[in-house]
Amino acid sequence: MPLLGGVEVSLAEEEIRKVREILGREPNAVEAGMIDVMWSEHCSYKSSKIVLKQLPKEGERVVVGPGYDAGVVDIGGGYVAVFKIESHNHPSALDPYNGAATGIGGIVRDILCMGARPIALLDSLRFGPLKSSHSKWLLRYVVKGIGDYGNCIGIPTVAGEIEFDESFERNCLVNVVCVGVARRDEIVLARADRPGDLVLLVGGATGRDGIHGVTFASRSLTENSEEDRPAVQVGDPFTKKLLIEATLEAIKTGFIRGLKDLGGGGLTCASSEMAYKGRRGMEIDVSKVHLRETGMTPFEIMLSESQERMLFIVDPAGIDKVTAIMDKYELQWSIIGRVIEEEEIVVKANGEIVARLPTKILADPPTINREAKKPAYLDELLKIEPPPMPSDLSLTLMNLLSSENIASKEWVYRQYDHEVGIRSVVKCGDGDAAVLRILGEDKGIAVASDCNSKHCYLDPYHGGAGAVAEACRNIVSVGAEPVAIVDCLNFGNPEKPEIFWQFKMAVQGIADMCRALSIPCVGGNVSFYNDDEVTGKAVKPSPVVVSLGVVEPLSSIVTMPFKEPGDEVLIVGETFRELGGSEYYYTIHGIEGGKPPIVRFEQERKTLEFVLEAARRGLLKAAHDCSKGGIAVSLAVMSIKSGLGADVDVAAIPAEEMRLDELLFSESHSRFIISTSNEMAEECFKLARKHHVTLSSIGRVKDDGIFLLRFKGEKSLLCKVDDIIEAWKKGFERRMGWG
Amino acid sequence: MGVYMLEVVVENKSAAKDPEGETIMRELMHRNGFETVRKVRTGKYLRIEVEAENKEKAREIVFKMCNDLRIFNPVIHVCSIREADV
Repeated sequence: MPLLGGVEVSLAEEEIRKVREILGREPNAVEAGMIDVMWSEHCSYKSSKIVLKQLPKEGERVVVGPGYDAGVVDIGGGYVAVFKIESHNHPSALDPYNGAATGIGGIVRDILCMGARPIALLDSLRFGPLKSSHSKWLLRYVVKGIGDYGNCIGIPTVAGEIEFDESFERNCLVNVVCVGVARRDEIVLARADRPGDLVLLVGGATGRDGIHGVTFASRSLTENSEEDRPAVQVGDPFTKKLLIEATLEAIKTGFIRGLKDLGGGGLTCASSEMAYKGRRGMEIDVSKVHLRETGMTPFEIMLSESQERMLFIVDPAGIDKVTAIMDKYELQWSIIGRVIEEEEIVVKANGEIVARLPTKILADPPTINREAKKPAYLDELLKIEPPPMPSDLSLTLMNLLSSENIASKEWVYRQYDHEVGIRSVVKCGDGDAAVLRILGEDKGIAVASDCNSKHCYLDPYHGGAGAVAEACRNIVSVGAEPVAIVDCLNFGNPEKPEIFWQFKMAVQGIADMCRALSIPCVGGNVSFYNDDEVTGKAVKPSPVVVSLGVVEPLSSIVTMPFKEPGDEVLIVGETFRELGGSEYYYTIHGIEGGKPPIVRFEQERKTLEFVLEAARRGLLKAAHDCSKGGIAVSLAVMSIKSGLGADVDVAAIPAEEMRLDELLFSESHSRFIISTSNEMAEECFKLARKHHVTLSSIGRVKDDGIFLLRFKGEKSLLCKVDDIIEAWKKGFERRMGWG
Repeated sequence: MGVYMLEVVVENKSAAKDPEGETIMRELMHRNGFETVRKVRTGKYLRIEVEAENKEKAREIVFKMCNDLRIFNPVIHVCSIREADV
């Protein structure tokens, strides 16, 4: 690695030249370390910034958009919802337990530092297939890490998704989401704008852990990564619980003028970003910082990524009141500096200046315009011949239901406390999205996260757009109105033009879909370098989208299971021959290619509006979107969840010309399965005409214990409900080595 | 072939935090009058009896097993093995 200021840095020669040019001198070792961290991909977004500009950030409900620790949207009645997604991929690949646990710790701090109480967690996880013992180990301990940490701090884990694919074998993806609520006037910004205000560091003592965590996350994992010093930190949920309560109490004093958590980049990142947002500077005395180890140098203190720390900017008039609250919770604290007029970060140790840098060089590093090139293999992959039609469609459905991507993830979520906090109205597995009530109001927040990395691999543009569409469909399925999204963009090495092309296309897809739905993107996170240096293989592009919606009143909530025998089953939307990247191709035929689903933007918007209005008018008894596994799997899951059977005529499904297996398992967008009573059905059709949406009655809910799909007079697919329940419920456990 | 008894101790690397040990020290010991305690580190202890040709081989088998089965994770843990009497 090249040298700057006498220390090894992870910067390119060109960037090192730029540092010297901007500064007009050689930085010293502390300064070089600080610049190294802040110019890393993780902190600077240097490769992605230019591309991310196209995401729509404006909207009536937006209170705080991208650029802060979390997005804030107005949900009415004086309340705001605060939410954010973040990746913890690299640490989790090396130490799944602590990596995932500290991921939760970090995302909770992001919500907390906006002044909101964290009320729910979600996780989007991606691993290699479970036939590998390495993947099983990663999954088991990632889930345990999330469960242990989340359960300890009393925040329910309410939803999420998991995908399995060979490309995640060496690079698992662990994306964590936290949702919070606050009164609108309680929101605090990560900003230091009044000279003389005090800088208060609260929480865990600073140690040597995680020094250079961000530079480590900004390069690919190597064979040697396991031998590195522990770049993975150990979380401390009990301290975090105290930190949450103390922070929320301190905010109520009115003396907190700015607040930010210490995550990647530690004190360097928190101080420079707050000062930059306030167009001021900060003076920090590292000899005041409470330490866990002796003999730590200023370099180490400025770069440490020790967990459970928050940086408060406090009005001097209220410092005693604020520190008294910290004492009450037995949290360690130290006043480490003050906000200054000059736009620079001054670091002192024992009375001497050890670093002095302009705020801008730290918080606003130069961006890089990377080259993008469409990968040559893509056109070949799209052209594959359709596989033969299976002889037994019932068996095919059973195999799909028990496959690791589709089978019930109960084994995972029953390790999480998903009810603590008494806010969970729609719980894990009951609806396409989780719903959390706002205490004391007849109002709830719905959240769901989605991404189909197999679709994204074949067409990152429509894959990105599809992630937004699916996340919003999940919100609408429970009767909520989607109001904003955040995204977590997981890709390989952006220095490779093919990877950067995937990234660009996916972001464009997300942006176009957001515009079509008039939904802003209020925050997000980019994780590059998810590739294996040894094999050169990158993860399938995975732009995970989290959509947040508002449901009001709570009585308009719709869930997924069928409700009563005799209810009419209907399908919303049209089915196209879009099998590329489908679970059917992957699980049943072992095929990776084919033409993946495209998003029909205008149709998607109309479909969402129709389902939302139908839910609000009380016309729907059950709703579920069609995604992985297509119509057959969606219908089966609604049956499984209710224990009720169904009798469906497949010929009534509006679709273009295709084979029966394709019709059942195609993963086209803009489709829902809904059920309604006979009396309401006519109203549904009227409403569908008003919204210009295709709606077709395809069958009835039955109580004969049989799940039956007919086609042109033949019983094409017939399973006992008990059998599909068994396949779906046990599939996952069996793969993990239980049951 | 003989039977060898090995004691395996797995603990966090010294540079890593040990919240469990810290909590035991603070909340249990210090709070209950044992203020002289300066540091507590927790870990995992296994006593394993294994059949092997000799004690070096026994050690080898146990270390490899603990590593392969991820009874410890070299990223965060140190694993020390010592012989004990059967």
